[in-house]
Amino acid sequence: MLNDVTFGQYYPAQSFAHKLDPRLKLLMLIAYIVALFIADTFYGLALCAVFIVVATLVSRVPFGSVLRSVKGIVFLLVFTSLLNLFLHGGDHLLVEWGIIHIYLEGVLFAVFLMFRLIFLVLGSALLTLTTTPVSLTDGLESLLKPLTFIKFPVHALALIMSIALRFIPTLMDETNRIIAAQKARGADFETGNIIKRVKAIIPILIPLLISAFRRAEELGDAMDARCYTNSPHRTKYKKLMFGWRDLVAALVAAALIAGVVLFNIYAYDIFPAAYQYVVIL
Amino acid sequence: MSQLSVAENTLSQEDFTALSFNNVKFWYPDAEKPAVNGVSFSVNKGEFVSIIGHNGSGKSTLARLVCGLLQADEGSINVWGLDPSEQKNVFEVRRHTGIVFQNPDNQMVASIVEDDVAFGPENLGVGREEIGRRIDWALSAVGMTEYRHSTPTRLSGGQKQRIAVAGVLAIRPDILILDESTAMLDPKGRREVIDVVRRLNKEEGMTILLITHFMEEALLADRTIVMNRGEIVMQGAPRDIFENGEALLTYNLCLPEIINIENTLKTAGIETPPCLYPEELAEHIAACAKERGLDAVSSPRLAPSDGEKRGPWDIDIRGLTYTYSAKSPFASKALKGVSLHIGDGEFFGIIGHTGSGKSTLIQHLNALIKLPQAQKKYKPPKVKKGQIPTTMPQLTVGEYDLADKKCNFLSLRADVGMVFQYPEYQLFAETVEEDVAFGLKNFYKDLKEEEVKERVYAALTAVGLDPKEVAEKSPFDLSGGQKRRVAIAGVIVTRPKILVLDEPAAGLDPLGKKEIMELLHKLHSEWCRTVIIVSHDMDEIACNCTRACVVSDGVIFDCAAPHELFARADELVSLGLDVPLTAKICRALKNYGIDIDCDYTPEGFSQAVIQAFEGGERNA
Repeated sequence: MLNDVTFGQYYPAQSFAHKLDPRLKLLMLIAYIVALFIADTFYGLALCAVFIVVATLVSRVPFGSVLRSVKGIVFLLVFTSLLNLFLHGGDHLLVEWGIIHIYLEGVLFAVFLMFRLIFLVLGSALLTLTTTPVSLTDGLESLLKPLTFIKFPVHALALIMSIALRFIPTLMDETNRIIAAQKARGADFETGNIIKRVKAIIPILIPLLISAFRRAEELGDAMDARCYTNSPHRTKYKKLMFGWRDLVAALVAAALIAGVVLFNIYAYDIFPAAYQYVVIL
Repeated sequence: MSQLSVAENTLSQEDFTALSFNNVKFWYPDAEKPAVNGVSFSVNKGEFVSIIGHNGSGKSTLARLVCGLLQADEGSINVWGLDPSEQKNVFEVRRHTGIVFQNPDNQMVASIVEDDVAFGPENLGVGREEIGRRIDWALSAVGMTEYRHSTPTRLSGGQKQRIAVAGVLAIRPDILILDESTAMLDPKGRREVIDVVRRLNKEEGMTILLITHFMEEALLADRTIVMNRGEIVMQGAPRDIFENGEALLTYNLCLPEIINIENTLKTAGIETPPCLYPEELAEHIAACAKERGLDAVSSPRLAPSDGEKRGPWDIDIRGLTYTYSAKSPFASKALKGVSLHIGDGEFFGIIGHTGSGKSTLIQHLNALIKLPQAQKKYKPPKVKKGQIPTTMPQLTVGEYDLADKKCNFLSLRADVGMVFQYPEYQLFAETVEEDVAFGLKNFYKDLKEEEVKERVYAALTAVGLDPKEVAEKSPFDLSGGQKRRVAIAGVIVTRPKILVLDEPAAGLDPLGKKEIMELLHKLHSEWCRTVIIVSHDMDEIACNCTRACVVSDGVIFDCAAPHELFARADELVSLGLDVPLTAKICRALKNYGIDIDCDYTPEGFSQAVIQAFEGGERNA
């Protein structure tokens, strides 16, 4: 049996990317974001693009599923691109129309930032598509562990996340049941103005809240009965283990950052004529 | 622990006592009467004790006192040599006791089975390898090893509850307490859990405290304790308790049906020694027949039922199919071509275990799930020449054609009332009156205030509540049984022609169940035309329904009057379903050459046996 999850955007598959240690995947995401942000050149950006394309191929997640994540930020993309286009100054004037001046530098800058944003979203999407929420929580807990030294309640936080994940499907089922029951009593959630619709939510919200509190109380008892204490003597059964895959992936991440840095430094030497169009920042 | 070893050892009595209560009293905050009132009893190590009692008799409070979730106000408790009232002992007491609650969903902390089972040992600070061994052992003890890496939410009720048992076992407790742990399960799930508990008691010598509403489960124990209003009123071997059953009635409990059958047979001179199992009763009846020199005993055949009723409010379903999360990797077919006729005026039963598709089926009846043709986005597919168009499912309820987009679905929902499982969980308003009026106001927007009030009061009266007493109260201040009645009133207030109820008696105590079924009969004769119930309880179906259908794996296995349906008991059992008690006795009687044809109600069965004996005597 697979570790199947019932919600979220996890895409079940058995791939190299799925089998990586969640801690490493989190660190890789951070490395990838750092690479995106230190890249000053289109060369560096292209390297990041190669990385994300290869990572997607390796993960066996269809490109469509990964690209869908961009949908959510379309508005942001258009808005920032337009802003950059109009406000960026430069030497090569392309369009002059009233108070609007568009320079070549502005176009390049807008395109550069747009791709940086898109790649950022694609990277995080790939992480959630290849990692179950449960192992993400495990990974986070493990990475945050050093914070226990400054008395940060890492374990409690991880338990809260784990219980939340555990109860999301249960409460979704419950919500659907309550909606069906109130619909059977003639409740209408689809028509009417905003005030009417907000009012229509009350017969769902109240039973749901009451049920959530009842569940919380019962869960508390069950946890007490199973000897739960927030003591430091707790042990942890699940241990995350680094394997050969993780080593390979870590080297790839290091190579990515190194590549971006090298491009930043040697951008002029690669193709001097294009220098001014390639180096953006 | 056998009596012999007790005699041989010179250890003190104390060492054989798993737990003991001495005159224990407990008050909930602000309660006038104690929930547990002067209880004294003790349980030996390795003993299997069942506790029965009506809702609110103090059983669950007792369980919570044992594992230190509550502290006694008076008296003393001893659990495995420890006093849970001392704060320093509480943790230790919980290591010795494990408790499994009613709702399996509310006991799990992790989204993966093995992580959840590991939770207890992690709390105890057990080392990693030992936790691994405990998970292996606990999962194999409940027969769930292959689900180690699964998600609990995807499992059946019985499987989930077995995981909850495993989670408790991983603590390696000495006393296992089950607080109505089977109440929310279907018969199959209940059997799974009870089998696990019995095996733990027999093979691991675990001390068991089983709190239950099901008399058949209570029978399995070494000893039964009966509670009433916070006190222990009877205790002893289950046989002694149930065979002198008259007293149980005074404690708001019911006699096991088999005792009622024995009593009826007795009045006709068929004296069987008291017994509690169907096979046993069959054996005794056969012995009686032999004694009288009867052979080839058979009861008169029942006339075949007069088939389907017809009327203006018939329900006709043809070729109904339904797939959940279609076009996703998780698609699952719930209905695979269901055709069914439910006649006007019937008391109809729908049988099937969890996941058989019966809930999906009933949600079509009031268009909570609409037929594909009735959905807004539906466009009829273009039929190429020479191709046979795919037949679409059809569904009519009275005058309503549910395949029609223009069907008035709001008015349909007023005419087909639907009471979901545990309907009390859907109450939300500040007062009972408002809650009951909710549906009415949705359906009839321009009803005058006085008229609403009048109808609400009528509905409350119909469900057996006194409107003057409850109308102004908050629904959350009522007792469990009252809440359920209010919820039913909130559905019948529109005077539906057809009333559909999903597991109307689930989770109630025996008396509560009986009262709800009586209520449904009253509503059937006075309030609506057709009543449809979904139930796991075969005795409930046999005793109440005019006709019933069995849904299995998304298709209708059979649809007939109970006496025809349960005559196929062997096939039902092979589908993993339960059969009524009387059908079990009939099956056992066949082995003795006694052939009983009856309607499978306890009275019908008793009469059939009596007639068979009389007929047999004439032959001899």
